[in-house]
Amino acid sequence: MSEPMLSVDKLEVVYQRAITALQGISLGVAPGQIVGVLGTNGAGKSTLLRAISGFHGVDDARVTEGTIRFEGRRIENGEPHRNTRAGIALVPERDKVFPNLTVAENLSVPVASSGSRADMSRRQALVFHHFPRLGDLRARTAGLLSGGERQMLAIAGALMCGPKLLLVDELSLGLAPVIVSDIMQKLVQIRRELSLTMIVVEQSAAVALAVVDYGYVLENGRVVLDGDATRLRDHPDIREFYLGQSSAGGRRSYRTVKQYRRNRRWYG
Amino acid sequence: MSRLPRASGHFRTSYAQDFRLIQTPLERRWLAALLVALLTFPFIASPFLTDLASQALLAMVGAMALMLLTGFAGQVSLGHAGLLAAGAFTAGILFRETGAPFWMTLPAAALVGAFLGVVFGLPSLRLRGLYLAVSTLALHFLVAYVGGEYESKRGFSTGIVIDPPVIAGKAVTDPRAWYFILLTAAVLTLLVCLNLLRSRSGRAWAAIRANETVAEALGIGVAANKLLAFVISSMLTSLAGALFAYYRGFVSVEAFSLFLSIQYVAMIIIGGMGSVLGAILGAVFVTLFPYLIEAVMQLLPGAGAYAGVMFAVNYAAFGVVMILFLVLEPQGLVGIWRRVQTYFLLWPFKHKPVAGARR
Amino acid sequence: MQLAVNIAVLASIYALIACGYVLIYRVSRVLNLAHGELMMLAAYLLLTTASSFAGHPLFAISAAIGLSILVGAMVYLFLMRKMTGEMALAAVLATVALGVLLRGITVIVWSAQQQYPATALGLVNPSIALPGGARISLCGALLVACTAVAYGSLLAFLRFGRWGVRMRAAGQSPLLAAQRGINLHAIYAIAWSLSTFTGAMAGMLIALDSGLGQTMTIIGLKAFPAALVGGLDSLAGALAGSLIVAAAEVLLIHYVDPLLSEVVPFLVLIAMLVVRPWGLFGTREELDRV
Repeated sequence: MSEPMLSVDKLEVVYQRAITALQGISLGVAPGQIVGVLGTNGAGKSTLLRAISGFHGVDDARVTEGTIRFEGRRIENGEPHRNTRAGIALVPERDKVFPNLTVAENLSVPVASSGSRADMSRRQALVFHHFPRLGDLRARTAGLLSGGERQMLAIAGALMCGPKLLLVDELSLGLAPVIVSDIMQKLVQIRRELSLTMIVVEQSAAVALAVVDYGYVLENGRVVLDGDATRLRDHPDIREFYLGQSSAGGRRSYRTVKQYRRNRRWYG
Repeated sequence: MSRLPRASGHFRTSYAQDFRLIQTPLERRWLAALLVALLTFPFIASPFLTDLASQALLAMVGAMALMLLTGFAGQVSLGHAGLLAAGAFTAGILFRETGAPFWMTLPAAALVGAFLGVVFGLPSLRLRGLYLAVSTLALHFLVAYVGGEYESKRGFSTGIVIDPPVIAGKAVTDPRAWYFILLTAAVLTLLVCLNLLRSRSGRAWAAIRANETVAEALGIGVAANKLLAFVISSMLTSLAGALFAYYRGFVSVEAFSLFLSIQYVAMIIIGGMGSVLGAILGAVFVTLFPYLIEAVMQLLPGAGAYAGVMFAVNYAAFGVVMILFLVLEPQGLVGIWRRVQTYFLLWPFKHKPVAGARR
Repeated sequence: MQLAVNIAVLASIYALIACGYVLIYRVSRVLNLAHGELMMLAAYLLLTTASSFAGHPLFAISAAIGLSILVGAMVYLFLMRKMTGEMALAAVLATVALGVLLRGITVIVWSAQQQYPATALGLVNPSIALPGGARISLCGALLVACTAVAYGSLLAFLRFGRWGVRMRAAGQSPLLAAQRGINLHAIYAIAWSLSTFTGAMAGMLIALDSGLGQTMTIIGLKAFPAALVGGLDSLAGALAGSLIVAAAEVLLIHYVDPLLSEVVPFLVLIAMLVVRPWGLFGTREELDRV
């Protein structure tokens, strides 16, 4: 692996000075890679992304141990707007658009890292090229958009920040599978054109494993499994618990489930 | 009423134990000592100090009432001075117009307070947070206006003079007698508050304060309990206002400015939200504060220049203290007190914050 | 006719003050109850600059305005910034405390007497005859003009200005705004500066018109119902609310009782809170957020 663009080292995040959400997570993202982070509810996926993008005052969360380096500079506990200007843009899970602004206004909000007007309009043209639907809805208030349109607008907003690293949180949440695969395809296409690096957080392993180069599986704030897409796809536990395919076929006894639990502890 | 662990080796194993007001023998001894100190205080202290203590006791009644409403039921009120004014004016007007004795005016003040409590509380059924605070603020201005209107229409433009109450054929004018009357009032209010808080309504208020929707879903009558909080708090406050009127012997609308409301809010903030002890500490602190500032100013060189604007110095210092508490110690005096307590409770094992605790 | 002019002047006073409340509330969800005091401070600053730049009234006024903008930014940086992440009420109480502090400071520095910056500046305040037999003082006319300009430019700024759009965005979702690269502290500081700027203009013009004393804080507080009646997060609403409150006040004073002046705005406020708590133009979900 070449020099990583983003490296997270033994990261520990504590909420409200009491709840440990991540305990000792390490991962690396090379330039141009798509890295997937999988896991169930409460595994710490979103917290990981938020830690990379930066915590806000009211989150009452902070990185208590470990480091996050982006292009060699340490950014843990940095302010979100600084990290964005450094080139990390986030597509959040909830509250992803400004509901009372129009689509066009939503796209004019971001403060880009390289802020020239020409850059902005070039990026805007690119966004409208890939998501023509947004172009049609330019004057529509964002709160009135459908789920898929909202997700497109959120991605477009993040792209307007002019990122080098794009963080996508739960792309598939609440969307129809056909829309998910459509947006995912667009995303991969845009990434190729802009040579973006991406981290994709997903609950739906099928969606994520279709596009990622490398993946991490999180449980209870720890990495329990990592590997490239093929390794994860073929891993029996992933097949069973994330993709819903039973390797043996038929029903399995409770004993094997316990086996998996032991595995997980072993990986942690 | 959930409590922190008090002492090592003391476990509460039944609800009855948990509800007990006095938990340990040590607490009982401390309380007895405090009571003796309070009872002997006026015989040792100078009349000036006795007067100060009386003022603090009076403030405690109002502060505890506000704490009940804001600190426990979570309903913000910026109209506390309006309720005090209502009580004072009820007593004053009844005395002036009908010559009613104090044992009639006090219940009347309580009734007026209860009625105003409903009026102040009605907006709370629709409003929350800031908007509620604003509506109580508006009601404060209304009450003050009605009081001022009465003063000017009846020709008491400087204020209403009230004779001291007559108990057993004797007019109460002695500061010591007043001290004991107000001490009784404060202790009674304290008992009312503590008992309410460990009752069903106290628990309902805690639930409402935490989350109204969930409280409603759990079968708590949110509207009724909110109104109850307003009514009880207003009654107590109104009584405090009437007592204030008798204590001063004088009622004037100038005494019940917005600043008084702010002072009461400051009491519960400085004392510590959500604690009856906090209301008491805050009331003492805010009452003594101007005298403290004056004393400090006299020690400083060149203070004579500020003698004419002493009230302004007070204002400024008061603002600074309030800001400092809000920014540095949101838990108030009680927070400091608890930290000291915990320190000794855990001694010699120091409380070591987890890594995330440093800010 | 004179009544209509009085309403217009009073409405523009309220509107110019109310837009300060609205700006801060809209951007940072904080109710600034020290607005009246900040306004008064600006007028007192004018008194000081008037004596140090005697004979240059324009210079004195712009210096005072500059100083008050600075004060607004400092209030955010040194006080309100510390209150982010606390509950909304704590922030409001912090502004209340700030108001008390400012009131004390102004009396200590400038004394509690009624003062007249107009004479210190050497300005006269002639009264102008209007068609229809009404009269308006020069300062009153200036107030109306200033309010119109302030509202016009603020509305345009928030609608079309790049940073205006960003301010609206920050008001709606601070976290997302920060994630889109907006420095929230800068936005909030700008909002506080703008708010004190409009407040300062109002304070100075009122002081030039009718003198300066501690009663100015009451005017500041009376403008607050105007903001709320219109809806705390709507500038256009503040304008409408000011008109309603001013009309009610002038008419009731004229036809019923002059003593009512103090309470009319609050009466209107209570009526509004009973009927439509989120105001004429406010958004309804606002209520649940606080």
